[in-house]
Amino acid sequence: MKVLVVEDDDDTAKFVVEGLKDQGYSVEWTADGEEGLSRCLTGGFDVIALDRMLPGKDGLEIVATMRACDVATPVLFLTNLSGLEDRVEGLQAGGDDYLVKPFALAELVARLVALARRPTLGVSPTILRAGDLEMDLVNHSVKRTGEPIDLPPREFELLEVLLRMEGRIATRKMLLERVWKFHFDPQTNIVETHVSRLRANIDRGPGPSLIRTVRGVGYCMRG
Amino acid sequence: MRLFRTTRFRLTAIYALAFLLSTATLGVSLYFAVGREISREFDERIAEESGALRRQFAISGTEKLKRIIDARAAEIGSMEFGVFDLKGKRLAGVGVLRADAEGRPIVGWTQSPEVDTDEPLEGEKEDVRALVVKLPDGSLLLVGDERRLPDKAMAAILFAFGWASAAALALALIGGVWSSAQFLKSIAKMRAAARDIMRGDWSRRIDLSGFDDDLATLGRSFNRLFERIEKLLLANKHVSMDIAHDLRKPLARTLRRLESALQDDVGSAKTEAAVSGAMTDIEGVLDLFDALLRIGRIEAGARRSAFRPLNLAEIARETVDAFQPSVEASGRKLLARLQVPLALTGDRDLLVQMIANLLDNALRHTPVGTTIEVTTIGETLVVADDGPGVPEKELAAIFHRFHRGPTSTPGSGLGLSLVAAIAEMHDLEYGAFNNRPGLRIVIRKTRERDSP
Repeated sequence: MKVLVVEDDDDTAKFVVEGLKDQGYSVEWTADGEEGLSRCLTGGFDVIALDRMLPGKDGLEIVATMRACDVATPVLFLTNLSGLEDRVEGLQAGGDDYLVKPFALAELVARLVALARRPTLGVSPTILRAGDLEMDLVNHSVKRTGEPIDLPPREFELLEVLLRMEGRIATRKMLLERVWKFHFDPQTNIVETHVSRLRANIDRGPGPSLIRTVRGVGYCMRG
Repeated sequence: MRLFRTTRFRLTAIYALAFLLSTATLGVSLYFAVGREISREFDERIAEESGALRRQFAISGTEKLKRIIDARAAEIGSMEFGVFDLKGKRLAGVGVLRADAEGRPIVGWTQSPEVDTDEPLEGEKEDVRALVVKLPDGSLLLVGDERRLPDKAMAAILFAFGWASAAALALALIGGVWSSAQFLKSIAKMRAAARDIMRGDWSRRIDLSGFDDDLATLGRSFNRLFERIEKLLLANKHVSMDIAHDLRKPLARTLRRLESALQDDVGSAKTEAAVSGAMTDIEGVLDLFDALLRIGRIEAGARRSAFRPLNLAEIARETVDAFQPSVEASGRKLLARLQVPLALTGDRDLLVQMIANLLDNALRHTPVGTTIEVTTIGETLVVADDGPGVPEKELAAIFHRFHRGPTSTPGSGLGLSLVAAIAEMHDLEYGAFNNRPGLRIVIRKTRERDSP
């Protein structure tokens, strides 16, 4: 995975770049908005981590220009702000995800990986599969080894998000945002209890669960 | 001198000038009006006298008139009366005829310096104004009088006005100086207070004794402002001390953990545990800062632009659904009675967080077996539990930052102050009550004010 980091804060940039390199990703970094834009347009990156506020050029402007030039490289906004407007603005400008500073490296990596392998827009699948588990999005039904499973709505959504991210880590924060639209971290273990209920519903017999726990980070659907 | 540059002094000076000008105008017009009136009366008197003498002449003839005139002219302080022949020779009485360039006496009104002063007053030279008429026998009749009296009256008027103006001007100046001095004194008090406050004496107020005007209003406003600043500063001071206190504990623990990790072999299980423990501690610290930042941002009201109409009961329903499995797994019960819609204009994310914090709070401070109820009644949202509750006198304090119950349960102590901040931002009233048993937190729409 080839990552471009556009970030003017040296500490954050160092933390991100070194962290990503340690995990074996190829990383390029620039602190300048103009420079960032030209690399975004030409670089052939898999994913871009983009600071919202940059000297020279605003992050929003960069994404808007990229999208106007038909460059579809996924963009993750890094922002100091967590206001709803900021999030909506970022996504409207053409950003794909956002992460509020300070963040854990695992959270950043999980989101970048999730974005990098996001299926390009086109015909979205109506059936999601993981092993012998099958989710039909049209009929709103779930089967395991052909046997139908009745899921409460929230567990269905949770399963759908996990299936769409199959093989990649879904962090607790990502799940809170995507399943419950919670843009904060409640003290209560909402994700954990829902995952354990979902597991109880979809797992059959002994053997490891379809949903793997990544300790301290989140969950991952086994392929 | 600063005194003369004050607004008050300038105002006084302007008023004094205007007053002086109007007094002068009044004086001058009065002077002329009175002068004209006096002259008219003066002339009228002479003309009347002259007319009476002419009638006398018509009745009794020249000799009788001469006798009368001699007698009248001899009266002390009387007017001047005289009879002259055509050449100007005096036949009776006193007075002098004025002659034109050819030596002929002038008939009509004349004015001349008095020659024979029967009343030489302080050597003043007085004008004599006289009316000369031709009598039927060709002789001339002169009736005149000194104009001294009217001019003196006029001078008195001018004199009175002059003094009055001077006195008024002096009074205005004194008043201006005095009131400017008062003003400067008030300003000095304000400056003194401001200087002390700038030096850090936040409890200092402007001494308002002796203030009785618009400055008093201003001073009171400033004092209220200072009071508010002091309160905020104090609250801030408390909060920063609380933060320091809250940070010390986990940071000290982290330090100990890392120290002990340093003594172990790298990569050993103990080191790993120490490092992951330290990370958890630091995450807790970051969460604390996050919560503080959130409260700060909400209190600043920065997100109001994202407000839209929504139903709080619906939001509560979603949040309760999210919490249901966790609450049940913890051995408690969560009931929802949210059929009554509660329309509100607000920020969904924040309202979700408000209700989530209330549920977090109820979960954290109640024992297993507790029932938590979320209800909407009318314009009110209630989150109640039947747990141990909060002592009556602490009920109001639970919304304060870093407030912790006596049981000192874990947590940032910020959950309910975030609730308070979000409620305030949405114009919602909030309060904590005794649920007998348990705690009941009530969030209610503020009664519609008269504002549109």
